Amino acid sequence: MTDVGSMALAIAWVMALYSAVMALIGARTRKRDFMASAEHAALAVWGLVLVAVAALLHALVTHDFNVAYVAEYSSSTLPLYYTVAALWGGQAGSLLFWLLILTSMSSVVHLQNAERNRDLMPYVTATLMVVSLFFLSMVNFVTPPFERLAFTPPEGRDLNPLLQNYWMTIHPPSLYIGFVGCSIPFAFGMAALATGRLDDVWIRTTRRWTLLAWFFLSLGNLFGAEWAYLVLGWGGYWAWDPVENAALMPWFTCTAFLHSVMIQEKKNMLKIWNMVLIILTFSLTIFGTFLTRSGVISSVHSFTQSGLGPYFLSFLGFMMVSAFGLLLWRLPLLRSENELDSLLSRETAFLLNNLVLVGLAFATFWGTIFPVISEAVRGVKITVGPPFFNKVNAPLGLILLFLTGVGPVIAWRRASWRNLQRNFFAPFAIGLLGGVALFIGGMRHYYALVAFSVCFFVLSTIFMEFFRGVRARQAMMREAPHIALARLVGKNRRRYGGYIIHIGIVMMFLAFTGTSAFKQERQITVNPGDSFELGGYTLRYDGVETEDTPHIAYLSATVAVLQDGALVETLRPEKRFYKKPEQPTTEVAIRSTLGADLYLVLGGYDQDTKMATIQAYVNPLVGFLWYGGLVLAFGTFVTIWPTRVPVPAAAYVPGSRERVATK
Amino acid sequence: MTASLKFLIGSIALTGAVAYLIYAGVQQGGVYYFKIDEFLAEQESYRGEAVRVAGRVTVGSVTRKMTPTGEELKFQIGDFVSDGEAKDTVKVHFVGVTPDMFKAEGGSDVIVEGKFDGAVIHAQSVMTSCPSKYEAEAQQQAAGGVPSGS
Repeated sequence: MTDVGSMALAIAWVMALYSAVMALIGARTRKRDFMASAEHAALAVWGLVLVAVAALLHALVTHDFNVAYVAEYSSSTLPLYYTVAALWGGQAGSLLFWLLILTSMSSVVHLQNAERNRDLMPYVTATLMVVSLFFLSMVNFVTPPFERLAFTPPEGRDLNPLLQNYWMTIHPPSLYIGFVGCSIPFAFGMAALATGRLDDVWIRTTRRWTLLAWFFLSLGNLFGAEWAYLVLGWGGYWAWDPVENAALMPWFTCTAFLHSVMIQEKKNMLKIWNMVLIILTFSLTIFGTFLTRSGVISSVHSFTQSGLGPYFLSFLGFMMVSAFGLLLWRLPLLRSENELDSLLSRETAFLLNNLVLVGLAFATFWGTIFPVISEAVRGVKITVGPPFFNKVNAPLGLILLFLTGVGPVIAWRRASWRNLQRNFFAPFAIGLLGGVALFIGGMRHYYALVAFSVCFFVLSTIFMEFFRGVRARQAMMREAPHIALARLVGKNRRRYGGYIIHIGIVMMFLAFTGTSAFKQERQITVNPGDSFELGGYTLRYDGVETEDTPHIAYLSATVAVLQDGALVETLRPEKRFYKKPEQPTTEVAIRSTLGADLYLVLGGYDQDTKMATIQAYVNPLVGFLWYGGLVLAFGTFVTIWPTRVPVPAAAYVPGSRERVATK
Repeated sequence: MTASLKFLIGSIALTGAVAYLIYAGVQQGGVYYFKIDEFLAEQESYRGEAVRVAGRVTVGSVTRKMTPTGEELKFQIGDFVSDGEAKDTVKVHFVGVTPDMFKAEGGSDVIVEGKFDGAVIHAQSVMTSCPSKYEAEAQQQAAGGVPSGS
């Protein structure tokens, strides 16, 4: 099977090269059969990658430890679920997995556009195949996944125990889908530049793709945060580690892109800016992979460091030079036809949102690569940690949050005083009153007061939008409130879906504020029977229990959680020992309530004295991060769900269906 | 003045603010990061500074003791290559939760971060940087024939 896999990858490499070349020749000479051949080859690449993935899965599931990858990342006692997840647990496999997503998406694009965008498609094919070719080169020549050992070890080294966690199995796929998804709008952007068709067709065609990519980027980041929270055991979910930042930076620019394309669609402005944003987003996805894989920046949880760095950097350089080169060449055609009318307008709010998001991306980028910069400039490596990122990104985040409330409601072109009063007086008052109420309630953390006030403000603007829409429908159509609400959202998916996503974002900000301003922690070494207090809880350590399985040995501490003298829950933070890699790990125990999480870590245990070190954290509002994620997901579904609009046959021209559907 | 010009001025101001925040953040939050050999060569000039040093725990140098606020850990770190040789090392003190991958007998690759008082690094955090070695080690072991744990 593995021979079939390697063979498939080798042929795929040739096919991808063939496809890219034929697509370009076809586009230059306008020969349709060349273009068709290029697209067929692209589909063939997808089929071949599927075969390779199936071959690697087969090797993993049948425990063929003669295959180096299988021996390194799985074992005979590893549960099937994680054995499948080992496909993306190691380097070669994750590159193959990346290819699987990329070629699957490009096949869907080819099928979707079989009759549409015929002028753009050859360049789209060429761009996607060049990217595929790079990853195919990696798995063919640099880290072949099917490499065999000279002998067959009796047992595998097992998947890194830190990765044997539910969230870690779904975190990489969602992040990869997000990363790879960004290549689709990028490819269409390049095609628009190459053909000179610089209207908004490329943006409209890829609107759903961009949203899908953005959605999975969001999920990928959230799953990663959840994983860090549950597995790394330091009481938090985000450490501004280079590997985390790598996934966050494209999210910032992709979010900016999602917003700024609306300005191009409505006002025909920002054409250059949108191109820059999509090039940056695509580049940051490649840069992110480079950061994770190269080990250029030391990270506590980079799971693979290897010699892949130079290849990624060269590829990144090549893509950026080509893309910006094309952009410069087309600059004269990209001049904007409209100007800003007034500072108080939705255009300005969106532009500001873009600036802030790019500012966030840049600050994060700068902090992440600062060790490299400082070494080049001053000869010493200086790292910046969470304090730097919090200091820089928190104020920017608050501005962004505020704009979330302003942008969707302020009038286009020029907001009149009446418009401002009508839309913002009540929300402003509510935000202010909320802040004052919290202050009277005893809150003296000023950052948090501001953050909560802004959250109230944004929520009120959104609520008002829903309320007004429903009332208008009720008055005009005489509908019951819930039907009016459903139809209001159903008929304006993009707008109201966007509002729902914003609610999710506000909820996340509640979590950010709660955990960064009001987190409590305590670290203590106790004898069995001892109690200590934290955040209104009394915690009593009752001793340890052990359990042994062939895969893992467990040691868990029993901690009784009491509130007002009554037992409310028994938590069991664990230490685990994974036998194959001989690696211990920490399993936290959490009591979640809407207001706060109680988070316990078994820090250490002394066999002779039976004393245990326990780290306890109270993380206020942290649950809102995950609930916010759910709301965000719901909002995305509302926005992205296909709208069926009957298109009169006579009016049908390539691209028109999308045009009608998005309005 | 047109709205575009006003916006341009505003965005320049915003960019300036971001630049300032970044500058101030680096000034306050920056920590010197060394490999152990770089640190040992210049340790005199970093007395009293916050440092982050990557090195290997010297074999046999670890003492651990339970205290009311966690485990007290004293050890030395030395060069990545001179495994177990206590030639050039620096002392590290740490109280807290010992990382899972920290080996009591020594030999773990660690990154310690804390204040250097001229003789001892008083670490606020000790991180094991094992996963980076994970792949290379696995390859060696696999090639050597006997994967551990079997």
